[in-house]
Amino acid sequence: MIDPYVTLISSFPPHTPQLFATRQTPISRIKLDERLQMLTPEHAQDLALIENLVHWDRIAISTTDEEMVRRAEETMRSLKNQFIKDIIIWRLEQRTAVAALRRKNLALDVPKAGVRWGYGQWVGHIVRHWQEPTFALEKILPWLYEAKQFLEEKNHLGLERLLLSLVWEYYGRVAADHYFDFEAVVVYVLRWDVIDRWSRYNSKLATHRLERMLESGLEDFNAVFA
Amino acid sequence: MNELIIVLGWLGLYGSMALGAIGSIVGCALAGQAAIGAMLETESGYGRYIGVSVMPSSQVIYGIVIMFTLQRDITAINGAAIFAIGFLAGLVLLYSAILQGKTCASAINAAKAKPEIFGLTIAPAAIVEGFAVFAFVFALVIAGGIPSGI
Repeated sequence: MIDPYVTLISSFPPHTPQLFATRQTPISRIKLDERLQMLTPEHAQDLALIENLVHWDRIAISTTDEEMVRRAEETMRSLKNQFIKDIIIWRLEQRTAVAALRRKNLALDVPKAGVRWGYGQWVGHIVRHWQEPTFALEKILPWLYEAKQFLEEKNHLGLERLLLSLVWEYYGRVAADHYFDFEAVVVYVLRWDVIDRWSRYNSKLATHRLERMLESGLEDFNAVFA
Repeated sequence: MNELIIVLGWLGLYGSMALGAIGSIVGCALAGQAAIGAMLETESGYGRYIGVSVMPSSQVIYGIVIMFTLQRDITAINGAAIFAIGFLAGLVLLYSAILQGKTCASAINAAKAKPEIFGLTIAPAAIVEGFAVFAFVFALVIAGGIPSGI
């Protein structure tokens, strides 16, 4: 009868409907963390677990696939909420499929039996259909073909846009039934993470472009004195 | 048996007001929480948020009026009628206030993001109010037909 997080959800500024039209998160991380103090200790702990598993910035580059799978299993055991588990599973399965595509694109062998390289229902299926272009998953995961093309063309920005837009749309779909509950809070924070990633991606691109421009400018400048 | 009917009559008499009050408490609390949250994020329009958040308070007023309309000597003859009208009207007021509170909370949340739709967002809450008014008005009409306690 009582929705527990009416104040919290109402205090969040809305996310933009168009992910790629935005250049910054609607609220700073510091402010977001301040507001998230309204969560109960149990929910705050669950949210931290979810973010540690899903948010790339919280995953060290040195983390191995096996460690990630183990962390995912531990998180799944800790979480009680099936809705949130389903969200995480969807995300991890997406990452597993992309990891397999990347592996194949690098001409690496099929993962050996017993090696824990992915999470979710498609791990065995992908290994069995390794020779197929999109692991015979194109009817279930129709975006795989487009992702494969981006990988082959080394279009990393295109691939990132595709994957982030899939995640963005998925979160939008699943959030439709939740307004002022913990699930709505989780989806809001996960969408915030997506915007944060995209905005950082933009700033990195801008930095690279600036560096290139500076370098080319310096070259011209040197040429004057040559 | 007569005693039971008299007890039920008293339950119905006070129930309309009590259930309406519970509904208003929950509804106003829900919408009020949304108003507080929205005020954290916005720089203006605070009065509008508070105004919308008190919409579910009308149900307790309807409950009080029904209670006074039903008030008379409660006997075995009129106890059942007082119970039926007071209790069922109270249930309507209870649910309408809670759900109106949720509707108001959604309206505040949406209007915060898109101030230009503020007027439209309170339309669903007004419709819920309309159903509560139906229950209120017809409770008064029917209460006129209840025999006095003699």
